Amino acid sequence: MRLAFILRLAWRDWRSGELGLLLVALLVAVGTVTAVSLLVDRLQHALLSESADFLAADRYIGSSRPIPDEFRERATARGLRVSETLSFPSMVFAGDDRNQLVSVKAVAPGYPLRGELVVADEPFGAGHVTRLLPEPGQVWLDSRLFPALGIGLGDTVEVGLARLQVAGVLLAEPDRGGSMYDLGPRLLMRLEDVPATEVVQPGSRIAYRLLLAGGDADLEALRAELPLAPNYRWRGIRDSSPSIGAALDRAESFLLLGGLLGVLLAGVAVALSAHRYAQRHYDHVAILKTLGATPTQILQAFALLLGLVALVAVAAGLIAGTGLHLAIIAVLQTLIPVDLPLPSLRPFLLGAATGLICAMAFALPPLLHLHKISPMRVIRRELGAAPPSQILSYGAAAAGSLGLLIWYSGSLWLTLWTLLGSAGVLALFGALALLLLRGGRAVGMQAGSGWRLALAGLQRRGGQNVAQIMIFGLALMLLLILLLLRTALLDEWRSQVPAGAPNHFVLNVTPEQVAPVSELLAEATAGRGELFPMIRGRIVAANGVDADTWAAEHAARDGEGDGPRLSSERNLTWAAQIPDDNRVVRGAWWSADDPRPLVSLEQDYADNLGLGVGDQLTFDIAGHQVEVEIANLRRLDWESMRPNFFIIFSPGVLENYPATYMTSFYLEPANKRFLNELLSRFPTITVIEVDALIAQIQSIIARVTQAVELVLGLVLASGCLVLIASIQASRDGRMQEHALLRTLGGTRRLIAGSLAVEFAALGLFAGIVAAVGAEVTVAVLQRQVFELGMQLHPWLWLLGPLAGMLLIMTVGLLGTRRLISTPPMLILRALS
Amino acid sequence: MDRMVIEARDVEKIVPTAEGQLVILDGINLEINAGETVAIVGASGSGKTTLLGILAGLDLPSGGTVSLVGQDLTRLDEEARALVRGEQVGFVFQTFQLLGSLTALENVMLPGELRGDPDARADARRLLEKVGLGQRMGHYPRQLSGGEQQRVAIARAFASRPNVLFADEPTGNLDTRTGQKIIDLIFELNTEFATTLILVTHDDRLASRCGRVIEIDGGRIVA
Repeated sequence: MRLAFILRLAWRDWRSGELGLLLVALLVAVGTVTAVSLLVDRLQHALLSESADFLAADRYIGSSRPIPDEFRERATARGLRVSETLSFPSMVFAGDDRNQLVSVKAVAPGYPLRGELVVADEPFGAGHVTRLLPEPGQVWLDSRLFPALGIGLGDTVEVGLARLQVAGVLLAEPDRGGSMYDLGPRLLMRLEDVPATEVVQPGSRIAYRLLLAGGDADLEALRAELPLAPNYRWRGIRDSSPSIGAALDRAESFLLLGGLLGVLLAGVAVALSAHRYAQRHYDHVAILKTLGATPTQILQAFALLLGLVALVAVAAGLIAGTGLHLAIIAVLQTLIPVDLPLPSLRPFLLGAATGLICAMAFALPPLLHLHKISPMRVIRRELGAAPPSQILSYGAAAAGSLGLLIWYSGSLWLTLWTLLGSAGVLALFGALALLLLRGGRAVGMQAGSGWRLALAGLQRRGGQNVAQIMIFGLALMLLLILLLLRTALLDEWRSQVPAGAPNHFVLNVTPEQVAPVSELLAEATAGRGELFPMIRGRIVAANGVDADTWAAEHAARDGEGDGPRLSSERNLTWAAQIPDDNRVVRGAWWSADDPRPLVSLEQDYADNLGLGVGDQLTFDIAGHQVEVEIANLRRLDWESMRPNFFIIFSPGVLENYPATYMTSFYLEPANKRFLNELLSRFPTITVIEVDALIAQIQSIIARVTQAVELVLGLVLASGCLVLIASIQASRDGRMQEHALLRTLGGTRRLIAGSLAVEFAALGLFAGIVAAVGAEVTVAVLQRQVFELGMQLHPWLWLLGPLAGMLLIMTVGLLGTRRLISTPPMLILRALS
Repeated sequence: MDRMVIEARDVEKIVPTAEGQLVILDGINLEINAGETVAIVGASGSGKTTLLGILAGLDLPSGGTVSLVGQDLTRLDEEARALVRGEQVGFVFQTFQLLGSLTALENVMLPGELRGDPDARADARRLLEKVGLGQRMGHYPRQLSGGEQQRVAIARAFASRPNVLFADEPTGNLDTRTGQKIIDLIFELNTEFATTLILVTHDDRLASRCGRVIEIDGGRIVA
């Protein structure tokens, strides 16, 4: 057949609306995938680059030693942007008698490489972004240092031996709270002024960082070529803040999964439309064959037709997808105030490939089958065709989805679990649906009432309905899975930094100050004011073996030397009760009257050092040796923002040693001035501010949450499309039956009622299938992919069937309303 | 005019059913010469429609041979049979079998288009004029009456320039008057195009207009 003729056939098909549904299904597949991956792509980049703000760089190399010049030079040679920071705690002096412990950050030009500095024109003033830095000889200070030091802009302060002019008010910098050396009111100065201060001496607690920004490939190449171990740590957002890293990882998995389910749903819609198209063309092909069209010509014609449709769908789908994602971004501009980076080419490729693969894997098999239709069908209607090769159809669909999904998610596991979940559930519930429908078989059409008519209809079209329940069920299940995972993720994230979590730590509270500090905190903040004693001490021996020797023999150390050292000086505390958020994982917490000297260790800390319950430890505390036995190991929640201790003693061991106390509390941002009151009443205590850190974590999690919600919405939309396609696909059979009934005197009410009951029943069964499938799949996904705890969702067992019933009844009735309002004669003629 | 266009030898058709082998045609021998008009008649289920399908190359017999215009259909594959159909055969069916998505004109153009004939459209117009549907070329089948649909089908059958025209109960779905007109039209065109006509019917009036009547009963020719 000539191309022109095939194009004419295609045009005539399109004109009659026959190709429409297939084209729309393909178009929606391409459009959804393009829109989802565009959104995911851009949100992911935005999330990553925003998280990079948190480091003020894409990566940094950190150390307690100066960074060699060689590192800087090699980075520059690779075309990376570099800057440097140096952070240390120091006393700053103003006038004769005012001083304050500050956290100094000295920065080189170019800082920050990512994110922005926010300054104000006066202390506690409104902030604005600046691209400037303090000039050499100048410093910028936190608002609250001005009243604390009794100074104003233009005054001078002393840092070590250097006198520097106060030239600005610093409200925020991107990497505030980056390390534990670094928590206190900020003083920002220039790197070149540091030598003049002479505070940097051997043994000073200084954090050196070389900040790097540039392409991932260049960064990784640099990482590979630098001699980092053992003194220099390479850090990106994922390793420098595990909670954000985990949130990003899970969000990424979720977004991928969402897109992946979108692809699956679209594939199902395409397959359904293609089947319907093929079925409606049996006569068409038989007639063409009697007129002399050869099987080869039919094959070529339909393959070409599909190719044509796929091309049009891909082109239109790419445009529609791009438009859709732009529209979503425009609508949500207020929610997503990030500047989204331009998308990469990948989403478009992915969209196009989805269209082509869906066409090949889902739509081609039923169409190819058309060439086997017997021309005898023109004489004998009942001569359909041997059903399409099941192996070919399902094989192609399975291979197509597997390929697409793996490419899409880049994760074999995620894909396999999703597919296995779907397939397993489908098989199981295909059988169940069959049983449900077979039960109590009725005879005849049972046209007496809408209710009985519907149930009889359900059974009569049993095979078709089982297929439909499975498809409805699959679509509903995928949507429920997404809903469940979203809820689990959001809960997890919200619980990480709950609103009102402590955002300030107080250290160095003397025993005499405990009561008044506690009182003041209870008054001014919502904190509980519980103070923990803190004593410095170190382990000198384990089970009678010298600590260093023990560590060398037992410690499980990684190559980079980051693990806790056994003999390092640590903060010790004691407690009668186990602190909140801690739980014993081995051994048992001590009873109040246990006279033995006991200690409790954090589990990872103990594991790293090769220590377990029953081991004997010798501590050196203020020059005295203290022997204790390890009573238990604890897990604790480092993200809780409460005081956490690696080492807790039982009561009665440490009470006689000089202790200071610490606590944490929550302060509203508007109440920052309270710190000055606190510090002026208790000048010797130290306040560590982590509010900036928490705010940053929260903002990132908020963004991730939005991304997740967006993708959920998109996938929901494509799920509805599947439902529509599926109902359309089964429409002809229903139409004919009901039109016939109406000619025999069935009222519209009877038909409408029967359709409503039929769809509701299908939806109910599908909802049951979906609820079970979703529960199982989510349990597996949570364990295997998201590493969250498993739980059952009783509400789902109600929601699934109910939602299925309402959704499918609504969509079904909308899809068949023409059937009820069109004169039956027209329907019968159109179908004959 | 005694060139043989159809020759059937020992044609059998047996189909497997749940109750065992069902013999539909049982040893049919038949010769039809060019220009003949032949009616195949018989009761419902006698096998006449199956025979028509096999003679026209729409279906294969289980045994025996059928040749159509000198080609042994039983030795051709579906691909080649389709080509033979396109070149030699035209069809008119009881249920018209028009493509609902095509206009009357487009339906009649189909055979020409399948052959790649550049004059397909002009031919189709001429034929539609001839069957009296010059004013309705742009109409879709659902907008036409049964008689009009059958006329479109007749026009399409002759658009193949067939040597043999097969008609399966061409008046079965039409009222007597309309049926009469359709019969007139078929015979008129048959004469004009010098086509061999083979039709299946149980309409006695239609059968009586044919030069030869073959009666089938129980899968055998009885008269």
